[in-house]
Amino acid sequence: MEELIQKLKVEIIEVLNLEEMEPEDIDSDDPLFGEGLGLDSIDALELIVLLEKNYGIRIEDPKDGRKIFFSVRTMAEYITENQK
Amino acid sequence: MEAYIRGIGNISPQNSWDNADFPGETVLYDNNRLKCIEPDYKEFIKPIQMRRMSRTLKMGVAAAGKCLRDAKVEMPDAIIVGTGLGMMQDTEKFLTAIIDNDEKFLTPTSFIQSTHNTVGAHIAVMLKCNKYNLTYVHDSISFEEALLDSLIRIKEDHSEKILLAGIDELTDDYFTIANNVGFWKKDINGNTDLLNHNSSGSIAGEGASFFIVSGEEQPDNYARFAGVDIFYKPTSDDETENFIREFINSRGLELQDIDLVITGMNGDMVGDNVYKRMQKRLFDKTPTAYYKHLCGEYYTSSAFAAWLGVMILKTQRYPDDIFINDHKPSGPVNNILIYNQNNNTNHALTLLSAC
Repeated sequence: MEELIQKLKVEIIEVLNLEEMEPEDIDSDDPLFGEGLGLDSIDALELIVLLEKNYGIRIEDPKDGRKIFFSVRTMAEYITENQK
Repeated sequence: MEAYIRGIGNISPQNSWDNADFPGETVLYDNNRLKCIEPDYKEFIKPIQMRRMSRTLKMGVAAAGKCLRDAKVEMPDAIIVGTGLGMMQDTEKFLTAIIDNDEKFLTPTSFIQSTHNTVGAHIAVMLKCNKYNLTYVHDSISFEEALLDSLIRIKEDHSEKILLAGIDELTDDYFTIANNVGFWKKDINGNTDLLNHNSSGSIAGEGASFFIVSGEEQPDNYARFAGVDIFYKPTSDDETENFIREFINSRGLELQDIDLVITGMNGDMVGDNVYKRMQKRLFDKTPTAYYKHLCGEYYTSSAFAAWLGVMILKTQRYPDDIFINDHKPSGPVNNILIYNQNNNTNHALTLLSAC
């Protein structure tokens, strides 16, 4: 799990162009949206594409997004549970 | 129709960010590609906003910010932009993603920002400006179209303060593709060598030139746009000559009132011959300059020429290496004619006058 979390942090920094940010700057349990990392709706779309492109996971119900993308850890957990 | 210039913000391959240094030393390039000297964007763009911006978008937003600050204008009444190619970097990124990912997994950011009006729209979003916002895309006369629209609006309402711009970027892919079709000279030793070859092609460039224009006369205005006109595909040199004469006369001036002509000579022998023939017919004794060795060739390079003209009128100083004939201004420079044409097809004239 920790390995996947680290990998996700690197990918998030890359796809969202979080310049001047290192993986260790992102707390695995902090909220990605709002007060945590401060991501917005366009970032959410980028993360949906990241899951599909890099992990082959398609989010069928958009309502699940809020839970899946709460933090890097919840993303990693969802990937672990759903990756074929 | 005329408009006073109250503020400027210019990013180019020259040191044009800080106008206090004008004209400064010409920045030399030893190849056929001139890239903008970019400022520190942090002064104008928050890091969280900057991460999604392409290089040109950053240039546009920063130049707009500097221009507004220079004019002491917080909210413009209109944003009017001219661009030949729009946001090339994001367009290329989006198209490359389509190919690489077999038309799947397309992410939104580069698509959203791949449109021609991205710069104007982004400035409006940042300023929360929901007023008139238009982008003109028309080959080498894109900036002149934007200027014409600005002048029409100011004629209707003198108090309007319009953010006017010309912006284009040079990406690696565009440079390569244009190079393959012979747009750029291959045998050139640098930008100051531009007119020394009897060959086709020019040198590549880019830039972001912003102006705040208004109908209100102020003591600290830089200069004024005293007119602009566009002429399509002349059938003879006589037609072109008449177009230029009529343009000048219609502004209440005679040929001898023009103190400096800034031509769009770019080193391409076919295109430059058009300028040379007009110079011989009309401006044989008038100081005549060029500017594309300073900024390179791009669709809205005439916006850089406008910046150059404005700075000459304001400071009465000029770079020494811009003249293409033996004449230099013998007295004050009050009227500058910018003459730009592309392949003898789109001819554009802009008259700049001192305040």
